[in-house]
Amino acid sequence: MIPEGTAPLPLLRVSTPSGERYDGVVDLEKVRAAHHALHTQRESLIADGNYAAALATLQMWRCVLYPGFPITPSTKWIETVAAKIAEHQPNIKRVKLLEAEHAVADYLAGAAAACRDLVFATATSSVGLDHMTETTRSLGASGLGNVLLIDVYRATANYPLCIEGDPSDTLAHRDDGFIQIACRGKQQIYDTLLQAPCLGMHPDILTPVMPGYYGIKDSHRNARLTVEPDHEIHAFQDRWIRPCPLPGLINGDTAFGNCTTSRWFQGFKIGQKKRMERALEVLPQIGADFERTFGRPGLAYFDAVGFGDDAPPDVAVVTMGPDFGTFEALRPAFEARTGLRAAGLALRLLSPFPREAVRRKLAGARVVLVLNQAHHQGRGHLTLDVADALFPLDQRPRLLSAFAGLGGADVSEATWEAMLDDARAALDGPPPPAYRFYHEGRRL
Amino acid sequence: MTAPMVPLDPQKLLSESVLELRGDGKAGGGLVLAFQSLASLLLEDPSIHVQEWPFFSSARRGASIRSFLRVSRKPILAACEVTRPSLVLLMNESVGRSVDFADGVPRGGTFVLNTRRSPEECAAHFHLSGRVFTVPGDEIGQTHLKAPLGNVSAYVAMTQAIGGLAPANVIESFLTMLRKRRIPDSIVERNRTALEASLEAVRSGTFDFARPGDHAPAGFEGYGDLPVGAQTRLRLSQSNRTADYAPSGFRLRFEDPERRCTGCAHCITNCPEGIIHFVPDAEKGLQVTHVDVSQFCKLCGECIETCPEQLFKQVPFEESWEEVATS
Repeated sequence: MIPEGTAPLPLLRVSTPSGERYDGVVDLEKVRAAHHALHTQRESLIADGNYAAALATLQMWRCVLYPGFPITPSTKWIETVAAKIAEHQPNIKRVKLLEAEHAVADYLAGAAAACRDLVFATATSSVGLDHMTETTRSLGASGLGNVLLIDVYRATANYPLCIEGDPSDTLAHRDDGFIQIACRGKQQIYDTLLQAPCLGMHPDILTPVMPGYYGIKDSHRNARLTVEPDHEIHAFQDRWIRPCPLPGLINGDTAFGNCTTSRWFQGFKIGQKKRMERALEVLPQIGADFERTFGRPGLAYFDAVGFGDDAPPDVAVVTMGPDFGTFEALRPAFEARTGLRAAGLALRLLSPFPREAVRRKLAGARVVLVLNQAHHQGRGHLTLDVADALFPLDQRPRLLSAFAGLGGADVSEATWEAMLDDARAALDGPPPPAYRFYHEGRRL
Repeated sequence: MTAPMVPLDPQKLLSESVLELRGDGKAGGGLVLAFQSLASLLLEDPSIHVQEWPFFSSARRGASIRSFLRVSRKPILAACEVTRPSLVLLMNESVGRSVDFADGVPRGGTFVLNTRRSPEECAAHFHLSGRVFTVPGDEIGQTHLKAPLGNVSAYVAMTQAIGGLAPANVIESFLTMLRKRRIPDSIVERNRTALEASLEAVRSGTFDFARPGDHAPAGFEGYGDLPVGAQTRLRLSQSNRTADYAPSGFRLRFEDPERRCTGCAHCITNCPEGIIHFVPDAEKGLQVTHVDVSQFCKLCGECIETCPEQLFKQVPFEESWEEVATS
């Protein structure tokens, strides 16, 4: 936790001298003073995921330009931003509707490089994220931690065209260089967005953040949302966000594509990796400060249920997204029916993967059931990460890999029960196959 | 011997466990709005938790969609679709031809239908056992809102079916939501009269027409054909009756007695079903002659919107059920 009133201190010193900051070009105090508060006190309202995400970015005084291009199911994000800005005129906030997603990412890069103390947010989905790829990979390396790329998960690949929300888009972009955080539920979406710039703009990290949530399942699901007053959000963010340098761009040249020497470039790539890894240490600190400030859980590696101090679980489930909630609801009945202990992790930090924390949590479990919901060339994105996390253990749990919810399919109670029954059978049975498919209540 | 049917009490479910609702309708038909309105009303009680979300695939106006709602006084963890709802809404009669809107509803559940028909007619036709509520929502919408919008009435009927909700709050909550959306005052007032008329028009009864096996949840039977309503130029829907997906009570009509068709072909190229017929015309290139609405027109409205001469329109059309027609 950063002592009040002081800037977070860089620890890594992995970069060459910082690029030009252009101090004074943007009068930050004028920007802050021009902010139009949407909420002056804590309020409860009904919202869907896109509204929650839009509201969070609108409440940040540092967020004034919103480049975007609509794509289902993220469209309501920019619609909400535009509507709210139009409602509160005069307003320095602006929506910049561009001609395609690639242009959006380019705009983010230029604007974020020019105004490093402001936050630049957009939202996209599926092939929209794919279309940004050339620039997102540069952004991931750029040090522009003031970029917030909200991914509303939707199955990627436009063949055949559908709008269902599986996370194959974000999971295909694990190596873009973004810190990727998965959210489930309105409140977590809103709270994560408020904390994300604190992480990305930390001077040790300076890495853009890609928060995400499931399309349709969360983007379009309405529930109660508690929103915080703008001034308290500002106080929280200002504790963490301080004058923001860039890591090692030469002579202040912030353009992409400028050439460097091979030797310098090689050092830069190592620095990029170290900055990303530093997020593993800083993220829990921001989460703890958020919880102290607002009384709700802050950023964490994962949501954990059923892990006690007394004994490890017989069956541990690992997945991401809202379908974990159905497992939570079923868990007591499963334990009562089988006499087994069941626990689960809903992953929040996808990149960098919190392998040490996952290992500590799963150590001692007899079977680990990993539910993957996106197309993958092998046993599943999450399965491989969990297997890697567990590898150093002397006594490794048996790993059961499942695919369900592909293409945004419902992961019903019956589907969970089928998977849990197989996990139970794997406690003493023969080794399970590399992976299995589950759909509509049964193993295929 | 079958045990007597005992209606399930929505208020008891809400307080002691969870009240699960599901609605079937058509994209653009007001189903999602009806569920959102109900969720907003219920959330006015700070002790209540809700989850409300729609399911619609990449289909446009006219395709079948679903909405879900969970309500409880306890935090709601489950995130899966509702498969055994205790209260269901049929927003559009014609959906009932393609979808079993009562699928998975336990005996004694509650059924709400946006229809001019009586609760008894509906219970007999759909083999329903439980409480049945009906409201002529499209008609009320046409009268008060100048459009066949049934969402206002469906919302009211669902509040009556759940019970324990004061009519004044039911009306004010809806109007407050409209005002937040900056709907003009004149339209808000029209909605008020529609809400009041809906409260008067809701009819209900308790019936036991379900036979053993009726509405049992269907198990997984494979992925099937490309669903009806998927938009494609390949016209894969030829094998399906996409006309089943048209809003009930309406049909497309093409009229050109003065031969005003310019031959622009916008209607032909935009029709996803390829049902617009034409003949070559030496001067215009082509001349639209008629539209085959018998099986494939789902009233997506593309031709209506694109025709520069406004030769296409949506006209009222009376649905008929066999038993009603023969009685």
